[in-house]
Amino acid sequence: MTRYLLRKIVIYLVTFFVAVTIDWAIPRFMPGDPVEGLLARMQAQPEAAAHLSGYYTQAFGFDVPLWQQYLNFWAALFHGDLGLSIANFPTPVTELIWGALPYTLALLVPAILLSFWAGNKVGALAARRKVLDNTVLPVGYVLTATPQMWLAIILAWLFASTYAFFPVTGAYSLALQPEWSLEFTRSFLHHWILPFLALFLVAFGGWAIGMRNMIIYELEADYSNYLASLGAPTKLVRKYAYRNALLPQITGLALALGAVVAGAIVVEIVFAYPGLGTLTLNAIENRDYFLMQGIFLFLIVGVLIANFVIDVAYVIIDPRTRIGMQGGA
Amino acid sequence: MSRSRRRGPLAIGGAVLLAALVAVLLGATVAGAGERSAFALPRAQTLYMSGSQWSPYGDVNPAKTWDYSTGTIGLAFETPFRYDPLAGKFIPWLATNGAWRTSNVYVMTIRSGVKFSDGTLLTPRDVKYSFDLLKIPTHAQHALWASTGLQSVKVVGRTVVFTFAGKPGYQQFDFYRYNVAIVPQHVFSKFSKVDLTTGNLSPSAIVATGPYRYLSGASSTAQTFVWQRRGDWWATKALSLTPAPKYVVDIHNTSNAAAFANFQAGNIDLFNNFAPRAAISGSAKTYFNKAPFHLGANTTWLFPNTTRKPLNDPQFRRALAYSVNMNQILVKSYQGLVNKASPTGLLPIWSKWIDAKAVAKYGFSYNPTKAKAILAAAGYKDKDGNGYVENKDGSDISLSIQCPNGWSDWMTSIQVIADSAKSVGIKITPSYPDYGTLVDDRGHARFDLVLANDRQYSNTPWTYYQYIFQLPILDNQTTVNYERFSSQKAWDLTQLLDRTPTSNTKAYQTVMTQLQTVFMKNLPAIPLWYNGMWAMFNTKYWTNWPSATGGHYTTTAWNNYWQMTSIDMLTHLRAANSS
Repeated sequence: MTRYLLRKIVIYLVTFFVAVTIDWAIPRFMPGDPVEGLLARMQAQPEAAAHLSGYYTQAFGFDVPLWQQYLNFWAALFHGDLGLSIANFPTPVTELIWGALPYTLALLVPAILLSFWAGNKVGALAARRKVLDNTVLPVGYVLTATPQMWLAIILAWLFASTYAFFPVTGAYSLALQPEWSLEFTRSFLHHWILPFLALFLVAFGGWAIGMRNMIIYELEADYSNYLASLGAPTKLVRKYAYRNALLPQITGLALALGAVVAGAIVVEIVFAYPGLGTLTLNAIENRDYFLMQGIFLFLIVGVLIANFVIDVAYVIIDPRTRIGMQGGA
Repeated sequence: MSRSRRRGPLAIGGAVLLAALVAVLLGATVAGAGERSAFALPRAQTLYMSGSQWSPYGDVNPAKTWDYSTGTIGLAFETPFRYDPLAGKFIPWLATNGAWRTSNVYVMTIRSGVKFSDGTLLTPRDVKYSFDLLKIPTHAQHALWASTGLQSVKVVGRTVVFTFAGKPGYQQFDFYRYNVAIVPQHVFSKFSKVDLTTGNLSPSAIVATGPYRYLSGASSTAQTFVWQRRGDWWATKALSLTPAPKYVVDIHNTSNAAAFANFQAGNIDLFNNFAPRAAISGSAKTYFNKAPFHLGANTTWLFPNTTRKPLNDPQFRRALAYSVNMNQILVKSYQGLVNKASPTGLLPIWSKWIDAKAVAKYGFSYNPTKAKAILAAAGYKDKDGNGYVENKDGSDISLSIQCPNGWSDWMTSIQVIADSAKSVGIKITPSYPDYGTLVDDRGHARFDLVLANDRQYSNTPWTYYQYIFQLPILDNQTTVNYERFSSQKAWDLTQLLDRTPTSNTKAYQTVMTQLQTVFMKNLPAIPLWYNGMWAMFNTKYWTNWPSATGGHYTTTAWNNYWQMTSIDMLTHLRAANSS
């Protein structure tokens, strides 16, 4: 177990190192100088521009060689410092990210967990009921093949624009500011439903199909037939089939996390939801390298941690993994 | 049965856990929200607007003229004067009057009885302090001290005296008279120089004289920035002015489409985003009730890189100018939402200075035959018969034209420009780099042709000529003279214009005529169309919006317009239910 975990940790650390390096490098090797972009946006007169250029170059740490910028980046990273936002200078990037993160998590976490739970349940149910199977299978295929952004646009058009059941944009009413009150909570939930559905439905379709196929496969496995021939009740057989079918689904969950995060980013943009997705768009539009870098770093770390948790959970759920590890497979 | 009993609590537990998680996240959003309003804003007393703020953070530093929260200057901080661009007049504001005592001494009398929002009285010392702040070299408005000849600002009784060395830069100084925010010395003197010029000031720093005070929204994720009307604004007593909306809410933009959806849903009253022609319908009103519907706010220019062949040849540029099918751009890209620019490039607000004779002699308009004739006369011929003219030395001409990717109206327009150039034998290929790349290339002269429209309404065409002619040319031209047109004569004339008071009408017109002539003879930039001051008004909650038939005010919440006449838009609005 310890060896397995150590091996995993090393793999994750290497992945982290490479990802962070790429994250650092990409904005720096993109065309366009952020300081010059900022000066152009400021419309600073030439008299002030020269002074400002020197000031910003130093403030962003661009006045040292690239290798030193790289080392400084790592040093700052370990102090939790992701630098200063360019577009919102001198707001620290971490402050912007912490502000947006709750909104993204409020969409992502329930969408991931509920779609996984509901998708698996419905998929399992479908596998043994012909009528349900005939519905779940095509609907599931359509949902899982739908890009989240497209579904978001359709939902917004249908339920916010054509029939104004839900608001078009934002995370809460424009007349409110975040506060602890029934009115704000109601408004928050009202605004949350459509973006949540856009993420939930797509993922739901995928899990439902996956589980439906896995259950059919498991029910035809030898152990199921053996159990049935021993006279075990059908429900018991299905219970074991479900447990076994869940394992590849959990692996799938780890693999799908990145895609779901990417989906959340575009869905947020459609609904102007003030989370990391909207912040990313803002960062890109304003050439805010440090903010882009910070957001990507957060996403990288988030996905890595979630994968690690799933890896550990897998060991606990599936005894074969533990046995395999002990046997030095 | 036993299984369902076992799963029941588990499912309930899971649901509770999930609900708890959502509650925690909700709590985190609330905790990160900064100051709060304890109630929902009453719709009938609130003006919602969009199209100004594209950045998520609400900064209120008046020195950061490029990205302070909408209304920081205008709604909160005020300026000594305002400028009415449609009437061409200065409006005394925090100063009751101002005049040149001698040719290089300007005296401004500061209004009595004006109180900052903390109850302190505004004094001439605050005005002097505010102008002195611009001495800091990293202040975006440092040019006041660096290039107008200003030597000192002194307080004498209720007046503030500005003394210049030699002939002052009258035009620039006039510009700063309505653009320098007057801040309270007793509050701002506590900030460091860095904070004063480039820092984010917290909303507690908004101790200002204007009609509104900060209510909420200074948070990195706030969707709106909210201003609340002050009950004790000086102009209510002194000038009988009171802005109608009790609350002004500026919505942070994420996209024009999202903002438009909100406008359509009736959630926005003043819509300053771009929207296509088809959007103007129903209760959506505009300044003009027919095309072009909006005031023209700035000129869109086609900048040629005059350091490259053949764009260094004025005759080639002239032929290019004649080749542009402007009507097609107006129809195809804008469906009539904009007007063709004058060949001088000057905005309609400066039309009285346009010399019609000079325009008749040196102007241009779409004329492909003439474009071909100019090319031929200048020696650009299609010797190899491929349909495109070659350089005089016989080498191929293949130019690129750029605009930022995603600026759809401009993208269509440069296609039209390329197509019309093709019809006269000039090979131009459109390209759409992202904005950052374009800015970088533009600054370093790594382009052939590029579109830009940075300069807006102002008190003086000097801002336009400085934009086109400023010398010296630096390694990186971040804000002016993108085309790198190096004419000492033109720059001297621009400086002469700066040093000619507008009141000296005759001398001013003479310089203006000379500048227009130099400009049109050389065409260092080709004026295309007047980009609109995009503004649609929702009349459901507020009426009496500015219009061509009454209420001639600037129609936008964009920054730097409040201290023109956008504030008048608010003082003249009427609640729909009371009219």
